[in-house]
Amino acid sequence: MSNEQILKTSKLTKSFGNLIAVNHVNLEIYKEEVVGLIGPNGAGKTTFFNLITGLEIPDEGQVVFKGTDITAIPPHKICQLGMSRTFQVARSFTEMSVEEVIRVGAYNRKKEKEVQEKVDWVIKFFELEDIRNYKCSDLGLASLRKVEVARATATEPDLLLLDEVGAGLTSTELFRLMSEIKRLNQETKITICVVEHVMQMVMGLCERIFVLDAGELIAKGVPSEISNNQRVIEAYLGRRGYSESSSAS
Amino acid sequence: METIIQGVFNGALMGCTYALIALGLSLIFGVMNVVNFAHGDFVMLSMYFTFWAGSIWGVDAALTPLITFPLLFSFGIIVYYGLINRTLREHYTIQIAVTVGLMTFLRAITQLVWHAQPRALPYSFIQGNIHLGGYVIALSRLTSATISLIIIAGISFFLSKTWPGRTIRATSDDLDAASLMGVDFQKTYALAFGLGSSLTAIAGSLLMTFQQVDPTMGLRFGLLSWCILALAGLGSIPGLLISGLIVGVGESLAMTFWDPRARSLVIYLIFILVLWLRPRGIFGRK
Ligand SMILES: Nc1ncnc2c1ncn2[C@@H]1O[C@H](COP(=O)(O)OP(=O)(O)OP(=O)(O)O)[C@@H](O)[C@H]1O
Ligand SMILES: [Mg+2]
Repeated sequence: MSNEQILKTSKLTKSFGNLIAVNHVNLEIYKEEVVGLIGPNGAGKTTFFNLITGLEIPDEGQVVFKGTDITAIPPHKICQLGMSRTFQVARSFTEMSVEEVIRVGAYNRKKEKEVQEKVDWVIKFFELEDIRNYKCSDLGLASLRKVEVARATATEPDLLLLDEVGAGLTSTELFRLMSEIKRLNQETKITICVVEHVMQMVMGLCERIFVLDAGELIAKGVPSEISNNQRVIEAYLGRRGYSESSSAS
Repeated sequence: METIIQGVFNGALMGCTYALIALGLSLIFGVMNVVNFAHGDFVMLSMYFTFWAGSIWGVDAALTPLITFPLLFSFGIIVYYGLINRTLREHYTIQIAVTVGLMTFLRAITQLVWHAQPRALPYSFIQGNIHLGGYVIALSRLTSATISLIIIAGISFFLSKTWPGRTIRATSDDLDAASLMGVDFQKTYALAFGLGSSLTAIAGSLLMTFQQVDPTMGLRFGLLSWCILALAGLGSIPGLLISGLIVGVGESLAMTFWDPRARSLVIYLIFILVLWLRPRGIFGRK
């Protein structure tokens, strides 16, 4: 981790009707770090990703990426600037082969001549050689998730956002994916922000953690701080304890 | 028996050009989910341009695609940025209203400029017949079918092997995901609309080597391409070709054995049967 900021949001806000999904969120991510964004269901994590990648327009606030104000500029431009992401529900181009999907990503930065080289590198890095000619619609969830990360990596982002890439995987598959993400960060220096429910994964992977609850940023810090933070325990774990005790009484 | 075979031959040759028209529609609909009701009238417009090029400058109909292809491509891009683009976020009824409006407008314009009577060109330099056994095949129809097939194969290659083609497929699959891979959907939509429209230019010019044109023809081509698309479903070019052949042959047999005026009726019938029995088309992906 360096001390140069790659992303900074200030007072980022988005509501859907009466519901404030993201509420005045200020956070900053530094170059080359791996950070986690956690929070209970409906906390606004995906909406936060949508806001910074341009899929949703914020009602209020600002997003600065690598020194450029990117609030409300279209997604493809943000991608060209160097931000890429995966989706909570795996979204590959179903009719394409694994290699083609990665190729679409690779064209973001590379010209025709260099694309193949990039594609080969990504396929090798994520160990996708065996399935490179498979159609995405024929893949299992674990491979699909990996292809999605590979596709995002192929765009050569400076900041990579991963929205619950571990959801639905077995613990072995999760562990594999986690070590690949870690290796990606170490070898390519890509800054990574993961949204994850599996605590084990977040704690093991991230240098710093942000906690969202009901749209608000309620805590940030290193993993040990977060796991001892009273507000986080209340919001994240305590609520379950509360509902259990209330249902018992 | 011989009349049947002759009818099947003629119909199959027409079917190739029909498939080319439907491919244009399929590109547009598949990528941006916009129902272009004016598509058939683009064919008609191309036929009139061909007529113009032929009667004013003496350009042979078989060569006019060189003029009409870029013309209709630009026209498609203009229509996209001028009209379609603004309706993308609207309810689909607004899109229908806009393209139906365009259809009516084009028809009215052609009636003004070329009047209602049918127009035809003197014979193209591709003329004469081939005699095969007892059957006669018009060389102009054979050439049209062949060129249509070549263009369809070319488009298929373009979609599967080139970067712009891949952006079209990626965008039609998942717009958001494609945008986040750096694909500018506006450019991709404009390209798809331009390309979809320019295919009607080729088809229109080819048809003028053996047909006449009148301002009401657009409706028939529109209907025909919808029928082929419904039959084929989205995403399969071979399926589109087979569906084109089915419609072409169906139409031709109806004209030989029933009544020339029954041609549209048969197309309607196929259309309704498909929607009723198998709404996603015979070869459709979803
Ligand atoms: N397009 C939308 N329209 C209306 N409400 C929305 C929309 N998108 C999200 N929401 C609401 O905003 C809130 C935050 O949703 P979001 O998907 O960001 O949560 P999340 O933290 O990603 O949750 P999860 O862990 O379940 O993925 C939820 O209450 C959700 O119902
Ligand atoms: Mg989410």
